[in-house]
Amino acid sequence: MNIKTVSSAIYSGKSYQYVDNGAPLQGGMKDVYFSPDRSYVVAFYRSEQDLNAKERLRKIVTDYYNSFFNREGGAYYKDLYCWPTDMIEEGKKVGLIVPCYNENFFFKKGYAANDFILGKEKEGKWFAAPKFRNKAFSLRLDENELGNWLSYFQICVNIARGVKRLHAAGLAHSDLSYKNVLIDPISRSAAIIDIDGLVVPGLFPPEVIGTPDFIAPEVLATRHLDKSDPGRKLPNRLTDLHALAVMIYMYLLHRHPLKGGKVHDLDTEKDDLLSMGEKALFIEHPEDVSNRPQLDHVHPNDLPWADVNKLPLAVTGPYLKELFYKAFVTGLHQPAERPPADMWEQALLKTTDLMQPCANPACEQKWYVFDNTNSPKCPFCGTPHRGTLPVLDLYYEFKPTVWRPENHRLMVYNNQYLFQWHANRNVVRNERTSEEQKIPVGYFVFHQQQWVLVNQRLTSLKDLTEDKEIPIGGMVALTDGKKLLLSREEGGRVVIVTLANK
Amino acid sequence: MRRLPVYFLLDTSGSMYGEPIQALNNALSGMVNTLRLDPHALDSVWLSIITFDREVKEVTPLTELVTFQLPEITCPQSGPTHTGKCLEFLYEKVNQDVRKGSQEQKGDWRPLLFIFTDGKPSDLKLYHEMIPKVKQLNFATIVGCAAGKSADNALLKELTDTVVHLDTADSATLKQFFKWVSDTIEQGNKSMGTSEVIVLPPPPQELNLVI
Repeated sequence: MNIKTVSSAIYSGKSYQYVDNGAPLQGGMKDVYFSPDRSYVVAFYRSEQDLNAKERLRKIVTDYYNSFFNREGGAYYKDLYCWPTDMIEEGKKVGLIVPCYNENFFFKKGYAANDFILGKEKEGKWFAAPKFRNKAFSLRLDENELGNWLSYFQICVNIARGVKRLHAAGLAHSDLSYKNVLIDPISRSAAIIDIDGLVVPGLFPPEVIGTPDFIAPEVLATRHLDKSDPGRKLPNRLTDLHALAVMIYMYLLHRHPLKGGKVHDLDTEKDDLLSMGEKALFIEHPEDVSNRPQLDHVHPNDLPWADVNKLPLAVTGPYLKELFYKAFVTGLHQPAERPPADMWEQALLKTTDLMQPCANPACEQKWYVFDNTNSPKCPFCGTPHRGTLPVLDLYYEFKPTVWRPENHRLMVYNNQYLFQWHANRNVVRNERTSEEQKIPVGYFVFHQQQWVLVNQRLTSLKDLTEDKEIPIGGMVALTDGKKLLLSREEGGRVVIVTLANK
Repeated sequence: MRRLPVYFLLDTSGSMYGEPIQALNNALSGMVNTLRLDPHALDSVWLSIITFDREVKEVTPLTELVTFQLPEITCPQSGPTHTGKCLEFLYEKVNQDVRKGSQEQKGDWRPLLFIFTDGKPSDLKLYHEMIPKVKQLNFATIVGCAAGKSADNALLKELTDTVVHLDTADSATLKQFFKWVSDTIEQGNKSMGTSEVIVLPPPPQELNLVI
C-alpha cells in the first residue's frame, strides 16, 4: 500500500494521509483517495485552481464551516451535509479533506440477485429510476434496500432542510443531483455532498452549470452565451430550487418532470437541449398535454411510474400538487416563482399527516395519501380502505370566538400519534423541534368498534360537542362532526372530525 | 426512452491469437461488469460487438446492458484484417439500429464507436471508401485503439482524432484502457462545467493518446 502525506493549507503543522492505489475514484472535477482508516477522503482537483477558487474553498472549510456547525443546532446538520473540513495544497494541486459518509449510505445488499454493488454508495439514481424497483428487471434492488413510500417523504424533508439552511446563509449549492445527494431509504436520511461548489452571489461565481436532469431551464437556454454576457444565467439559489423540485418529484414519482413525448427537434442533442431548456414543458401540465409521456415509447421496466394517467401527481396529495404546479408550470421559466425550500419542507410534512397505511401487506409502497374521497383506496395496488376513516381538520383561533381552517388535516389510523405541532400552531415541526416536542401527546386507536383518541399529555383537551374535559389518561370517541379543543394555550387548535368510508 | 448505442469493433485477425485475445476477453467482461454497477449506464446503454478478421461477424447485436451476455471472442490462427468490410457492415447496422428522431418519437443519443485493432486494414481501398460514410453516421465519439507494435496509428487517425496507442495488448493494459472506455460511456451523467469542456475523461497515464 502506498500511503502519502499531505499538509493542511490552513492549519500549520496539520497533515493528512491517503492511500494512493493509482486508481482514484473520479468525480467530474476531482480525484478522490481514501485515508488509511477510511474516515475521510482526500479529493484533489484535477485542474489548477486560481486564487479566487482557493479563497472560496478556504472560506467553505473555515467561516462557513463554523457558522453551520459550531453553533446551536449544528449537530442536526452534521449528518445532513458532508462538509469539507480542511484544504490541502501539494505543489500546484489543491484538494479538500472531506469526512466519509455514514455507513448507512453504502449498500448492505444492493441488487436482489447478486452482490455486485454491495458496499457501493447509495447515489440517488438507484432510487429515483423506476426500473431498479421493477420486479421484471433482473438487476433490480433488493426489497430491503427500497424502503416504502413514506420513507421518501422523510428523505425529501431532509433534503429540503439542507437546501433551506444553505439558502438561509446566502449560499447556493449549484449542483444538486443524484450523485451529490446520497439517500438511504432504510434510515430515511439524506446527505448533501460536494459542498465545494457552493456559490456565494456576487462573491464566488459557479464553476459548474449542474448535472443533466437537474439543470434549470434558463441555465441550459443561455448556455451558448459567454460567461460575461449579461444574459447568461448561471446556477444560483433559484436554480437550486428547480433541482430540489425535480428531486422531490423523482423520488416520489420515479419519473422526470420534463422528459415526456414532445419532440422539439429531429436532432437528439438539440431536442434534449430544448426540452430541458428553452422549451421545457411539464409532462403533467394541466392544460398543455403535448409533453405527456407516450406509453408505447417508454421502456416496459419504467412502468407503472411512467404512466401519468395511472399515477398522476395528484397521488402526492393537495399540498405537493400545488407546489409541483408552482415549480413546473408557473415557475419553470420564471425562476422567482419557484417554491422556496421551506415550503417544500412544510408541504411534505403536512402530507405525511394525510397518509394511511395500505391494508394490503403485499403492497410495495405500504403507504398512500388520502385521496379526499368517501371511499378511499391505495393508488398503487388498488386495495380499498377497510372500515371507517376519521379525518381531523385543524382550525386556529383567528380572533376570539372565530376559528378558521388551516388547510391542514390529520388522517387517523390505528396507533397513529398526535403531537404538539398538531395541538398548537405555535409549535413548528422542523429541524429545531426539540426531543421533548417529539414525544407524542396522544394516540388514536380503534377500540371496541369505535375510534378513540387517548390523551397522554394534553393538559387542556376538551370535547366541545359534549362539553367535557378529557383528563390525561382519559379518552374520547371520534364521532362524525365532533369538535375537540386540543389546547387552551395560545395557538391551541380545534379539530373537527369527519368519518369517511362509512 | 432514449438509448445510448455503443458499438465495439474488435480485430480478431490472426495476430490477436493467443494471449492478446484472452486479454481482450478479460478486459471486455471487466468493462461490462463495471458498467453494470452504474445506474445511469443501466438506464440507457445498449451494446453491440462486431468482430473482424477475414470475416465480419456481429457477435452481439445491439442489446440492452442489463441483458447483454458477453460471448467468448475467438480468432483464427492467421488471416487478413478486413477493417473496411467491417466499417461497411457497421454502416448498415447503425442505419438499421439507431432510432432517429421523428415528429412522433424521440431519437436515440448519438452512438459511440470504439475500434480496437492490432494491425492495419488488409482491404485498404474499402477502408478509405468507408471512412467518409462512417463519419456521416454522426457518432458522438469515435475512439480508435491501436494495440501493439504493428498497429497503425496513422490509418486510424483518418477515421478519428482520438486514437489511443497501447504498446502491448496484455491484460493489465487492456483492463486500464477499457476502464477508460467505461468512463467515457458514463461521462454524460457528471457535473458539467460553466465553460465548454472536452467530452472525454482524461485517459489513463500509461497510454499514449494520439490526438
